[in-house]
Amino acid sequence: MSAGSRGAHDRAERFPGFDVLSQARHWDQVTADMVMARTRPPAPPSFFTGPETACARTLLNLLTGQDEQDGELAVPVLEMVDSRLAAGETDGWRYDDMPEDGQAWRDTLAYLDADARQRCGTTFADAPELDQLALIQAVQDLKSADWHGRPAAHVWSLWTRYACTAFYAHPFAWDEIGFPGPAYPRGYKNAGVGKLEPFEVRDAQPAEDPVKDGA
Amino acid sequence: MGVRNGVRARNESAWLLPNDGSRTNHRLRQDMRRFADGDEIDLVIVGCGAGGSVLLQRLARAGWRVAALDAGPFWDPDTDWVSDEAGSHHLYWTDPRVIAGTDPVPMGSNNSGRGVGGSMVHYAGYTPRFHPSDFMTATLDGVGADWPVSYPELRPYYQQIEEELPVAGERWPWGDPHGYPHRPHPVGGNGEVFLRGAARLGITAKAGPVAIANGRFGNRPHCIYRGFCLQGCKVNAKASPLITHVPDALAHGAEVRPDAMVTRIAVDERTGRATGVHYVSGGRERFQRARMVAVAGYSIETPRLLLNSASARFRHGLCNDFDQVGRYLMVQGAPQTAGRFDAEVRMYKAPPPEVSTEQFYETDPARDCQRGFSIQTVSPLPITWAEHVAAQGHWGRALREYMSDYVHWSCLGALCEFLPLPENRVTLAEEKDSYGLPVARFSYSQCDNDRALARAAQSVMEDILAAAGADEVITIQRYAHLVGGARMAADERHGVVDGNCRSFAVPNLYITDGSVLPTQGSANPALTIMAVAARAAGYLAAGASGGTT
Repeated sequence: MSAGSRGAHDRAERFPGFDVLSQARHWDQVTADMVMARTRPPAPPSFFTGPETACARTLLNLLTGQDEQDGELAVPVLEMVDSRLAAGETDGWRYDDMPEDGQAWRDTLAYLDADARQRCGTTFADAPELDQLALIQAVQDLKSADWHGRPAAHVWSLWTRYACTAFYAHPFAWDEIGFPGPAYPRGYKNAGVGKLEPFEVRDAQPAEDPVKDGA
Repeated sequence: MGVRNGVRARNESAWLLPNDGSRTNHRLRQDMRRFADGDEIDLVIVGCGAGGSVLLQRLARAGWRVAALDAGPFWDPDTDWVSDEAGSHHLYWTDPRVIAGTDPVPMGSNNSGRGVGGSMVHYAGYTPRFHPSDFMTATLDGVGADWPVSYPELRPYYQQIEEELPVAGERWPWGDPHGYPHRPHPVGGNGEVFLRGAARLGITAKAGPVAIANGRFGNRPHCIYRGFCLQGCKVNAKASPLITHVPDALAHGAEVRPDAMVTRIAVDERTGRATGVHYVSGGRERFQRARMVAVAGYSIETPRLLLNSASARFRHGLCNDFDQVGRYLMVQGAPQTAGRFDAEVRMYKAPPPEVSTEQFYETDPARDCQRGFSIQTVSPLPITWAEHVAAQGHWGRALREYMSDYVHWSCLGALCEFLPLPENRVTLAEEKDSYGLPVARFSYSQCDNDRALARAAQSVMEDILAAAGADEVITIQRYAHLVGGARMAADERHGVVDGNCRSFAVPNLYITDGSVLPTQGSANPALTIMAVAARAAGYLAAGASGGTT
């Protein structure tokens, strides 16, 4: 149970040539407008302060396995999370031992910086990547134990919910997992084990089970 | 054809929708009757979801002057809904709520809808009946509660609603065996895996029951199997009250007033009768007079509204003299187990509701617990699937690796009958919402029986997937559907309303939503909520028009 290292096989090769955006002309306009907007350069952060932005960007990129090498394929997770928080777009609940989501994000980013200063004498964003990974892992390993006065599991839930919701909303992430995205009004005609639509691409490495290989 | 003609004669909704490829009858909405606040209408309904919409439609047909106020929008599937997971956030009730207890229950996308159509806009579409045993679990199993209504009393309403949605499925061998008005849908990869695994173990599994018309129904088109049932059906194929009951209600003179948040039920201190509801619309505080009030805000908002309607007479909340409001709130345990196959399942290609089994629904002496569970296909889209994978502890590069394997996974979900417990309840939090009202605090803790059921269900799902050929299985502990919180009972010391949904404390106040259910069974609750509301409507329509009884 960890962030792991870069995989033995290249994810981009699992679905060779699969390109979700190439099908956008088949989507209804309302959906297409919403999805295409995610592929344009995002607005600068408005919820997080400067130091919070640096910390959150590093955290969110590491949680979603993104690094600088991803270059143009990077999903702007930080900006997607920031715009949700700026709009107060929560999941509709909070744990009674956590503040509301916006404050919880600010607080926990500050805790992460505090942990980094203690460990490395730098902010979290400026710490070496191995230390960053270790600092994140330490929060997950606490499980429901206390982290800066909060149950670590509830902090972990907050971070991963926002991170995954943003990352897997992006068509680049869909390319990577073979998911064709919006399906209206076209729908599907070939459902069933082993069946493909003309616009789907078969997994080139079907026996590469990462649960077995990577755990 | 007999059944369909019969449906049209009593509920014309499907024929009132457009047949030109668009999904909303705008003319019907423009021409809708609009009551003035000062009109003392026959009935004002709070909430336009499963329960509220059925009551609205039935009483409009009976000639009542009736309006339903909903806090959310009057959806247009063409312009308001998208074929996208993250973009469907606005379908959920996301006003602040606080969750507590040893096993807190997340709200929002999983169980709380917003706008006309309610949670049925984003439910999967499964519409099984409750079993006869669900109405008498205290007598049969020594747990839970007996309803003041029996299964045979509800049966005709189940049949009516199944025709109106309509429901498609195989002949159903469990509970009270019955058929469905529409043939079962073909299954996709996930349903195929479930059927194969179950067959190898000798477990009976069936396609259905789903509230998705198989074939054209009125002007509602056939399902296109796009897999986005939980994001609102842009096709008008999956049933929700927005298309199954609201159009007919409007055609019979009912008003639906969207974007109207009811903040308080008014009760005359002298007569003890409800006089209408305070609500906020367009930033203005208003008051709708009515001879009767029905609350249908579901298991969190209904108790919250009653508690926020405290007065000199009802100091601890309306209808709460015996500390029953908000209690016995139930949520089904919903462990979700996935299996990995070298073949491509692509579970997103079909409606998530496909196949289910109720073979484990009843108490089994061989298990160490009371009551049971059902198992159904669930087919999470990428964001929800990421939650399943992340729950295994994976993050970062590892998460991405596992997620890249998405097309190989099949996913089953259980609905476990977690028991109604008095301390699982809604109270008011210190925190206020944007209307200045205290928000709901929902405390939830499991009991030993609940945990035993979840373990048993997980084990059966793992067996089914393994029998189908899965080489790995992974499970996430989740919750499904809410019910209870203002339950029906034989008397006011054990519940909030009687078997006809009439509150014990205020003679012209009714509650017609999922909060009145005393037990939850292992069935998705939408059909039962609608059937209970239809039965209450029949009682009202047959009695003195206006609740003077």
